Amino acid sequence: MTVELIVVSLFVVLAVAGGVMAARSRQILYNIIGLGISLFGIAGLFLQLGSPFVAAMQLLIYIGGIVVAIVFAMMLSMPMAIDPPARSLPKTIFAAIGSGLFLAGLVGLLNNTTFETRPTAGDEAWAVSRIGNALLEHYNLVFEALSVVLLLAIIGAILIARRDRTPA
Amino acid sequence: MTDFPQIFGGHWPGVLAATVAIMGFITVNALMLIWLERKVSARIQRRYGPTEVGPFGLLQTLMDVVKLIGKELVTPDHVHRPLYLIAPVLVFAPLLALLSLIPIDEGWIFHDYDIALVLLLAFSSLNIIGIFAAGWGSNNKYALLGAVRAVAQNISYEIPLLLAVIPIVIMTRSLSLHEIASAQAAYPFILVQPLAAIIYFIAGTAETNRAPFDIPEAESELVAGFHTEYSGMRFGVFFLAEFTHMVIICSVATILFLGGWHGPLLPGWLWFFLKVYGLILVMMWFRWTFPRLRFDQLMSFAWMILVPLALVNLLVTTVVLKL
Repeated sequence: MTVELIVVSLFVVLAVAGGVMAARSRQILYNIIGLGISLFGIAGLFLQLGSPFVAAMQLLIYIGGIVVAIVFAMMLSMPMAIDPPARSLPKTIFAAIGSGLFLAGLVGLLNNTTFETRPTAGDEAWAVSRIGNALLEHYNLVFEALSVVLLLAIIGAILIARRDRTPA
Repeated sequence: MTDFPQIFGGHWPGVLAATVAIMGFITVNALMLIWLERKVSARIQRRYGPTEVGPFGLLQTLMDVVKLIGKELVTPDHVHRPLYLIAPVLVFAPLLALLSLIPIDEGWIFHDYDIALVLLLAFSSLNIIGIFAAGWGSNNKYALLGAVRAVAQNISYEIPLLLAVIPIVIMTRSLSLHEIASAQAAYPFILVQPLAAIIYFIAGTAETNRAPFDIPEAESELVAGFHTEYSGMRFGVFFLAEFTHMVIICSVATILFLGGWHGPLLPGWLWFFLKVYGLILVMMWFRWTFPRLRFDQLMSFAWMILVPLALVNLLVTTVVLKL
């Protein structure tokens, strides 16, 4: 039990520290790496909750996909060597108020919810085949809708990229 | 299947032993592969390669490692220190995790995860962040350009790599590397999936950043690319990572397409290593035969040729299996 506790707290610390790094740093690459660390911590929590598949997907999609895509976008868009402007005070204040309200709301929500306690789901409950069946049977419509959304995003990206291009 | 607390709570001596075994393998393997690389390149260029230290020059790399360890670790003035220092670790650590997933023989595996293939793809996409941290943290234009190229190249070649792996998963209905290799007792999958095998191997070679896909570290343009500013054993870690990455790509190719440990007469693990090192020889042969691609050729090769071919292959596979 104690080992489990240590491992969980390690991942929580990773997730929170990464989040702080993502929000605090003024160097954009540190923000991105902070996001990566935070997502890694969350993947660890999924693993701890007994769902290695979701944890692996978290690594594959969020860190290997999204974070790398953000690095890619950053590298194409802004000059990285330029120092960022100093943080302005009003912005900081509004951000603090906004996130404070969100935190208060979240804490209130958590306090007013009664969570069912269930026995820990076995390995079978989160097996890949189970998830696959659920996606293609019960959540079929959502699955298809998501793929249409992604297709639209791809077509949109192609259209935007092609707009200013004259045929060669 | 795995349950996490047990791995850390109950079996920690096993985890420790496995880690030590893998570290030992990585070191010895890199020493031998660097020697082999020099010998292969020398033979292809009609030279002898290392001959002086040890029989056939076998101990040459060991001496080089002693030299590297003895060297001063120079940290340039204007680097972003945290990123610069963590980058070699970020590049190397995922590979350590990857090696632990590879089954060598029937039942010779540290832990048979039923999602090993997903884990493999997940971890192999992580080291690109380390490469970018190295390039950006070095605060050097050559390093940055090299890192930019590395990211672009890795994103592009990961897609055909994934698409080449999926037909195998559909055929075997399994994500476990052990099961996929076991399914090839009768014949290796390269006979039924030759196109996927070729696409996988090309994309895999690109993922290791080796020639002809070595534009991230093209000497004649970028000094040494993303690891220009690294010296001593920090540079050594990047080198270790590159050679370990080769072993992983070739091991996975062996498991997915060449039947893993299956083969007549010889014991299974021997077949496995013969196939892996045979593929590595092919990779070295590539490096010293083909010239480096230009950047636009590299990109259009991935997006215009490999991705459509892999998609068609996937479609044909599903249709044939459904018939």
